[in-house]
Formats: sequence, C-alpha cells, structure tokens
Amino acid sequence: MRFQDAARDARAVVYAGIQADPLVARVASLLADATTAERWLARAVMNGERTDPDRWRSMFPTLFGATVKAATRDRAAVLLAACLEVANRGEQARSSYRGAVVEELTARLLARRSAPVRRERRVLFDGVPAEIHPYDVTVEADGRPEVYDCKWGARGINADVLNQLDDARANAAEEEIALRVAIVVFDARRSCELRLARSTARHDGTSLVALEAIDSLGKGGR
Amino acid sequence: MSERAQVAERAEVAYRALADLAETIEDEWQYVTDLADAYLPSIRAMGVGPEAGSVLTPEAEAAADEAIAEIALITDPHKAIDWLSTFPHVVALALGGDADEPTGDKPADAGQDVGGQDGFGPEPESDSPFRILRGDR
Repeated sequence: MRFQDAARDARAVVYAGIQADPLVARVASLLADATTAERWLARAVMNGERTDPDRWRSMFPTLFGATVKAATRDRAAVLLAACLEVANRGEQARSSYRGAVVEELTARLLARRSAPVRRERRVLFDGVPAEIHPYDVTVEADGRPEVYDCKWGARGINADVLNQLDDARANAAEEEIALRVAIVVFDARRSCELRLARSTARHDGTSLVALEAIDSLGKGGR
Repeated sequence: MSERAQVAERAEVAYRALADLAETIEDEWQYVTDLADAYLPSIRAMGVGPEAGSVLTPEAEAAADEAIAEIALITDPHKAIDWLSTFPHVVALALGGDADEPTGDKPADAGQDVGGQDGFGPEPESDSPFRILRGDR
C-alpha cells in the first residue's frame, strides 16, 4: 500500500484555488479552537439566508447575550464575521468553501497529534485498480496510516463514499496493514447516524466523527 | 401553557413546514422523514418536562424566534435539508434543551444493523483512540 498525489483535472484545479483561499484557513483555524456552540453558530451562518450579524447574535444568546463574558462574545464575533464572509461568497461558491473548511479543519486537528498529514491523496494497493476519487485528508505515519473523507452535511454520506472507505480498509488488511478509515461530518451526530442506518453499503469498519466530537481528531494517537 | 411550551410549539410548527419543503426532494424523502421523526419529539420535549416551568428569558425566546424566522425564509428544499439537522440544535442552545433527547430513534426498518456501541464502526478496543474519534465522550 502506498499514497500518491491525485492527478488534477480542471475541476480539481478550480477547487484547489478555493482550498488555498486564506479565508478557508482563517475559518478553519477559528473552528479548530471553537466550542461546540460556536461550531453550531458557524454551521448555521454558513447555511443561512441572512447576512445581518445582529440576527445571528440574537439567535445565539449563549455566545452573545448580555451576561456573557466579553472575551467569549469577542471570540464568537470574530468567528461570526469570518463565517459571514463565506456566506457572502454566494450560493454557488459557498458550498465549495464549506467543504474546503471541513477538510482544512480536519487536517489542522489531525496535525495536532500525527504527521505527516496530507491532502488530496490516493491510496494504491498491489493488483487493485486505483480509486477515482482521492481522499480529502490522510495521515501517512509509518505503520499507522489513516484516511478521511470530509463532508459538510450528513446528506453527503452516501454509498460511494462508504464503499471507497471500506474497500481501502479491506485492501489494506489484505496487505496486513491496519488502515484506519473515517468520515468527518460537520453536522449533527444524530443526523449522521440516521443517514447511516439506512445505508446498505458496508461501514462497520469505518469511524464517524461528527460536529459534536470533532475535537477528538486532535487527541491521542493510535 | 407555559411560555417555554409556546416557543417549542412555534418551533415545532416551523420545523414541520421545513420538513414539508425538504421532502419535495424525492430521493431524500426517507432521510427527511427520519430526521423529522427524530427531531420533532426533541423539539416538543423542550417545552415540557421538569424544566418546562422554568423562567424563559426574553433573550432565549427572541433567539428561538430568530431561528424560526431564519428557516421561514428558506425556499430551496436542498437548503431545507441542511437546516433540518441544524435548527433543533440551535433552538436547544437557545432554550437550554437537548436536541438529542429523547434518543433511540434508529429507524425501525433500517436495512442494515450497523453494529458497534454507537451504531457506527466496530466495538472499539478499550485503549483505542478511535473510541475517542468515534465521539464516545
């Protein structure tokens, strides 16, 4: 088993431009140190219709309420402003930005406990045709590789994603390598579990990391 | 009816309307139905139970109504699906409830038993960091 950079088609080149936008790094950096409530704020704002910050401040009194500490309010305000920048990119662009944010957040959290962390990589196995889609994030540490697919919402969990992850795990096992495979979803764990419960694709060897527990990516090791 | 129950009822009505919009995506009808089946009781529960009689601050009521106003603006069913999983948690933060209660909402007729202690992945070893990765915190 070995990792390889994915060949870039035209769509990947365009997406790479979004991934490299400093706004993506800024939002991901803020989310990496955010509380769960702040992450719900981010998800709501980047899903939202309105771009008036006062509306969002009213909607999250635990972050912006009159009795909330100034430091908490200030930190949430910085995150709110950054998320509104994403929302203001327009309907077409924002979905790409949101996906790129989840990938960048995942990579940043994983980098807190493992290296090297890479992006857009394929995994090759002896005698097995290469997968079409690269993995969003990989940890390529010797003897303890990991691959991650990242989604903004639970709706992104589908049979293709689950099959690719499970195939990779199974192919690695054939080579006696314990490849950890996981899907990271910036959405409610409950929604993800409902989605998975209806899936007929095999996923009993795949881990789920949902919004509420995303900090766990940066903790421990294998 | 307490103020809290009234707010929860408004949220429930708004959520039903959102689900009605979302289920116009035919391919996602089952997922939308599962979400509504899971979250509607949770939203309803925020207005009843031991905390139902507790004082609802003006900030909390305004927050919930702001969230209700936000989802009322949605006309795109795809965006409605995104909000079906987001809205209950936003309202829970506002009202101090729990969008994951009551639990036990795995679809009864789901096609595959996904196994594992939280319904996803193999039973973790006790010392496995992937137990943490799976969110068992």
